Amino acid sequence: MVPENIRIKFHKKGRLIYISHLDLCRTVCPAMIRAKIPVWYTEGYNPHPKMVFAQPLPLFVESRCELLDIRITEHIGCDEIEKRLRQALTPDLYVEEVYTGGAKFQEIEYAVYSVICDREFADAAVTVSDSGSLPAEKKVKTGTVTADILPQVRSLRRTGDNEIECVLSASASSYLNPVIFCKAVADKYRLGDVGSALNIVRTGWLKKDLTVFR
Amino acid sequence: MELEKILKKVSKPGRYTGGEYGQVLKDKTQVSARVAFCFPDSYEIGMSNLGMRVLYNSLNLMPDVWCERTFSPLPDMESEMRAAGVPLYTLETFDSVKDFDFMAITLQYELCYTNALNLIELAGMPLRAADRDESFPIVVGGGPCTYNAEPLCEFFDVFSIGEGEQALCEMVRLYIDMKKSGSYSKKEYLRKLSHISGFYVPSLYEVSYAADGTVTGYSPLYPDVPAKVTKRIIGDMDKAPYPDKFVMPYIETVHDRITEEVYRGCIRGCRFCQAGMVYRPVREKSPETVNAQIKCLYENTGYEEASLLSLSISDYSKLSELTSMLLSWTDEKKVSLSLPSLRADTFSKELMDRISSVRQSGLTFAPEAGTPRLRDVINKNVTEEEILSACRLAFEGGKNSVKLYFMLGLPTETEEDLAGIAQLARKVADEYYRCEKRAKGRNVQVTVSCACFIPKPFTPFQWDAQDSTETLTAKQDYVRSLITDKRIRFNYHDARASRVEAALARGDRRMSEVLVEARKLGMSFDSWDEHFSYEKWEKAFENAGLDMGFYANREISAEAVLPWDVIDIGVTKQFLRREYEKSRRSEPTPNCREKCSGCGANRLGGVTRWCPKTSE
Repeated sequence: MVPENIRIKFHKKGRLIYISHLDLCRTVCPAMIRAKIPVWYTEGYNPHPKMVFAQPLPLFVESRCELLDIRITEHIGCDEIEKRLRQALTPDLYVEEVYTGGAKFQEIEYAVYSVICDREFADAAVTVSDSGSLPAEKKVKTGTVTADILPQVRSLRRTGDNEIECVLSASASSYLNPVIFCKAVADKYRLGDVGSALNIVRTGWLKKDLTVFR
Repeated sequence: MELEKILKKVSKPGRYTGGEYGQVLKDKTQVSARVAFCFPDSYEIGMSNLGMRVLYNSLNLMPDVWCERTFSPLPDMESEMRAAGVPLYTLETFDSVKDFDFMAITLQYELCYTNALNLIELAGMPLRAADRDESFPIVVGGGPCTYNAEPLCEFFDVFSIGEGEQALCEMVRLYIDMKKSGSYSKKEYLRKLSHISGFYVPSLYEVSYAADGTVTGYSPLYPDVPAKVTKRIIGDMDKAPYPDKFVMPYIETVHDRITEEVYRGCIRGCRFCQAGMVYRPVREKSPETVNAQIKCLYENTGYEEASLLSLSISDYSKLSELTSMLLSWTDEKKVSLSLPSLRADTFSKELMDRISSVRQSGLTFAPEAGTPRLRDVINKNVTEEEILSACRLAFEGGKNSVKLYFMLGLPTETEEDLAGIAQLARKVADEYYRCEKRAKGRNVQVTVSCACFIPKPFTPFQWDAQDSTETLTAKQDYVRSLITDKRIRFNYHDARASRVEAALARGDRRMSEVLVEARKLGMSFDSWDEHFSYEKWEKAFENAGLDMGFYANREISAEAVLPWDVIDIGVTKQFLRREYEKSRRSEPTPNCREKCSGCGANRLGGVTRWCPKTSE
């Protein structure tokens, strides 16, 4: 049969937030074998299962919407794949849904994040949009440069006393790391080192027209 | 939570978070004893250790026992933990090790001793066993270093000598039984434990010394305590519990693969090799068992590489059957096989073809010495022709790099032996260009890797002195000066680290002071080049009033009482001495398959392939 494209939506949470994207890839490979998913292998010198992630998730960030595409060489129902993968993975890597017919990853324009923070941070964050600019330090090959990241912030809103929701650029040509965003907010309003106290969760993806990407 | 904040500040926090697929979780309220299995090195190293996987499995097979894991935090994590007051915890539950019933520390190499002690400190416990009351866990040591655990006697309550699969379960069972019957006290428990074969309770023995510091005798404090502790072995390897799944690390570790133990022991008897003596007698698994275990582990781990472990894989009597069985399914499943520990004399075309059907990197052989004479002294029993023909096979099979392991400072070594290393390496390199079927258009790469000889307890060379560091360094310089060929790369071990290792390996109880001093100097991770400090070790010895040379560089007389005489490994002291004497006559000893040399290990019983029938 022609390899069939399958999309897996999963959560990365709990102890998994301390695991890098590279390590996540290494974790998923053997899990496919344990789950007896007939994954299509690349045909190269060193064959390996073909897997494409929508986007890497920064360290310490949780997610409820990670997407992984695989190709399978024998037909198995999506429900069955979901069942088998749940058994082959830990609850911190929870498979929410397995489906076919997903849109192309290139159509992703924005990612939605929920940031659990203290009131002070939330107060500050929601004013960022009207503040003119948001300088952030970015690491580049030659060192660090300061750039205005405000154009990459699509929207911000308060969703609770200690919670904000932000929509940040997440396309191939323009990507804003939510950790850098939070640090820039903290720096701008002199809130100190808030990094270890924040809880950032990626909750969804949007297309250019702000409809949900699936 | 305090820990969460710390984890965001340290490198590779995945080392400290556990929660992996395959970890064992139980209900705390439903178990009678909890064991914290501690590996005194990084997570990446510890998680690759087969012994830990085997014992984690064995203990957790007991429904009323829960074994969890912990590893040495790296210096950045350690300082964060100390600053935040986070004590050593296990990865399964994040519970403090101090609240467990047992703290089991595996001792794999001498240079991890400071880490072992640091783990006790990090758990928030007094370092010395005598200072720990009933409220603290029983601290038990195991692993290869316990064959001479004397330098650690002050800090451990008990050592498990030999193979632990059954012994550790018995140790925990006795504890549970005594707790349930209300007869438990730490003192009474340790006394009873000493009655079980394979348990060495150091506090139950008195050691006497001569004026020059040499040990003159060991005596048990009570008549019911055995005068010697005999190591434990597993009788039937086919029936021994073996893990059917592994804990799957999220982060990359040293070896992310299936490790399958094929047999224990070694038929060879190289005279410098401790493993070759202490793991006797040779006990093999059947090829059916090995194949079934690998298959099961493939399904339950998803690893696509399987490594066949033993001290010398080509000596396995059923290797050809085993590889046939494995290749009937591994190729199709894209599982590659790796065979570490190949011997040059038994490396065949057939074996080469079998392992080259899957991914495989370069090959490594260990001639150990540069001349036939010295190879006879050490009983390596490999000829130059065998080494060259093994390399030729590898080259014909498409390899263009070979690693050769040697040892410097071996007893009776001469300049000629050292020159022989460079000559042999050159001959191997030349062999490549003589080989018609070599990989075209590529140059050969021969890597010569020279370790320093370390006299280890329970070897025929245990009485020998180690060369001084000056001599070893001069020898390294000499060999390097002879290797002018660009095709040959030369690596060597730090002679000073080897000296510390030798001193600790042959240490006695007085050396515990050195370790206490070492900890006062903040030493840890001594097996890591970037953390090892010889100057600090010198200082630790000086502060303890001991001479490193006394332990490392002293030739010990045949009559002397050895600090490790209290342990019985099956192989007799008489055999070791016979081997020592034969070595001085450059006389080799046949391997177990050819002829029994009467080492004594068959006294321990077991389903052995090569040993004559035991007397029982």
